[in-house]
Amino acid sequence: MAVRVAYFDFTCCEGCQIEMTNFGDAAFLELLNHVEVVEFREAMSEKTTEPIDIAFIEGSFSRESDRKRLEEIRERASIVIAYGACAATGGINALKNHQGDYKKAVYGKDSEMPHLDSMCARGVDAAIKVDYKIHGCPMDKNEFVRVVSHLLHGKEPVIPDYPVCVECKQNETVCRYQLGDHCLGQVARAGCGAPCPADGIPCEACRGFVSNPNEEALEKVLIENGGLSAERAKYKSRMFAANHRSDAVKE
Amino acid sequence: MSVKFIKETDFNDFVGKMMEARTVVGPVAKKTKFVFGELESVDQLRLDYDVTILPPKKLFFPPRQDLLKFHGQKGTSCICPQPKVLFGVHYYDIKAIDQTDFLFNENNADQNYLANREATTIIGTTIQNVSPRAFFGSVGKNVNPKGHDGFLTRINGGWVFETLTSKGRDLLDFGKFIDADDAQKAEAAKVNTEEKTKSPEKIKAEGDVVAQKVRKSFSEDELWEEFAKDCFSCGSCNIVCPTCYCFDVQDNWNVDQHSGARTRSWDGCLKADFAECSLGQGACENFRETKGSRFRHRIMRKAVYSNEKLGGPACVGCGRCSLSCTADIADPVNVINRIVEG
Repeated sequence: MAVRVAYFDFTCCEGCQIEMTNFGDAAFLELLNHVEVVEFREAMSEKTTEPIDIAFIEGSFSRESDRKRLEEIRERASIVIAYGACAATGGINALKNHQGDYKKAVYGKDSEMPHLDSMCARGVDAAIKVDYKIHGCPMDKNEFVRVVSHLLHGKEPVIPDYPVCVECKQNETVCRYQLGDHCLGQVARAGCGAPCPADGIPCEACRGFVSNPNEEALEKVLIENGGLSAERAKYKSRMFAANHRSDAVKE
Repeated sequence: MSVKFIKETDFNDFVGKMMEARTVVGPVAKKTKFVFGELESVDQLRLDYDVTILPPKKLFFPPRQDLLKFHGQKGTSCICPQPKVLFGVHYYDIKAIDQTDFLFNENNADQNYLANREATTIIGTTIQNVSPRAFFGSVGKNVNPKGHDGFLTRINGGWVFETLTSKGRDLLDFGKFIDADDAQKAEAAKVNTEEKTKSPEKIKAEGDVVAQKVRKSFSEDELWEEFAKDCFSCGSCNIVCPTCYCFDVQDNWNVDQHSGARTRSWDGCLKADFAECSLGQGACENFRETKGSRFRHRIMRKAVYSNEKLGGPACVGCGRCSLSCTADIADPVNVINRIVEG
């Protein structure tokens, strides 16, 4: 019997779902020969309340009212995978955790509308147990195939927990710091293959931090070698890693 | 073997003819740095390079290397050596290749490395520009480069080409070589002696003294933690090192769920989970959990542990680790000098 998979989305741009369909033959369509998709809002209208083998969850947990839906998914899924930066770490949504006046700044006169009331944005593991995370904004096709393939074969997928520098060096990419630029590669979780520095732009740590980031050294290097102001160096990694930083807002 | 001379004006013609007949890999520019890359035109060749980002071992032992392809239960070896000329290798990298040759040959000989290595002709060359963090002149001084097939030395008006093997001698067919005269040989010898004095950094003790004192510092945990305070555990110092040879092996399926590959990729002992071992039943333990213990291991590994086996330190002084470390803590010269000077 084919493995039953379903896709769910929470606070996000749904870009990872779109990315999934963009994978085309190379990943998505071919995988359909091995799984049965039972729910996938971006690609089909059917829904299910039946048990699921693998639930893919996209988007951050940012309002209490989502907790129940997440718990229901958890209850009927054998494996829960948080995919994409928002689900895995809270992603870019977590910027709001440090922005007291975001509603006014973004919505102006409409800022008091009740649906804008949300809490801190966190990864879905703040609400339910997550078995695996596929990091990245958006997630990477190859990593998605790798993780799913391992699970289909009953094997434990290996999720890298070392910095992006490893992949840059393996690619023989000239270090951003040696070009007078800055970068977050030293603390960013690898697994993407380091395409951004190879294309000439710094790593922004869209996959979040490694488990043990050296934040203090990063700040120092961003100032001394990267030429950033002390203020900018201090907050530089917030864009994608707000929830991984030592000053993360817990509630 | 023989010592030949080729005029500067005939040199590009030699390289061009060699490229017509062989795949030639040499130093080429990449932005502001250099890498070993397959030459597509003669003018790409930059024998004036200071150091490359990755060492030339990548030709035999690529950063990511498929060991076998599988199809269901059937595996097929990926060993498929392509004959190449590795052209323009500095002497410190020749020493490093000699070490990896030895290491991949001992115990279970690693055919994935050795087949590529045997298919390669290695031609060394003079260091014309010196990397700002190099210290090749003060490390492993009693270890001579060997294992290469020829060596090119730039002298006034041309190049002296010493052929060391038949693979090296075969390249003579591609250029207008004549026998080098005694004055040219003497000039080449002088250039190659002088180049060893040109590295800007210096380890202030001989290898055996370094080994002894560094080993003695093993238990000074505070010192090692201090050295490693700014360490990102990013493994850059390992990945760019010409004598590091650790790798990780993983199997991955293709999207068809039937075929796939077993691939090895370079690993590094500075990475936080490098020493994480399974204890079974989902439990694991990391026997080098702190940054300091990982930092210490690398220095021990380069300056102490393998000296006996290799006949000298497992470091050739290329300075790549120092250049690649954004926190600038990796430089073995700073670490070793601090220890030997007590």
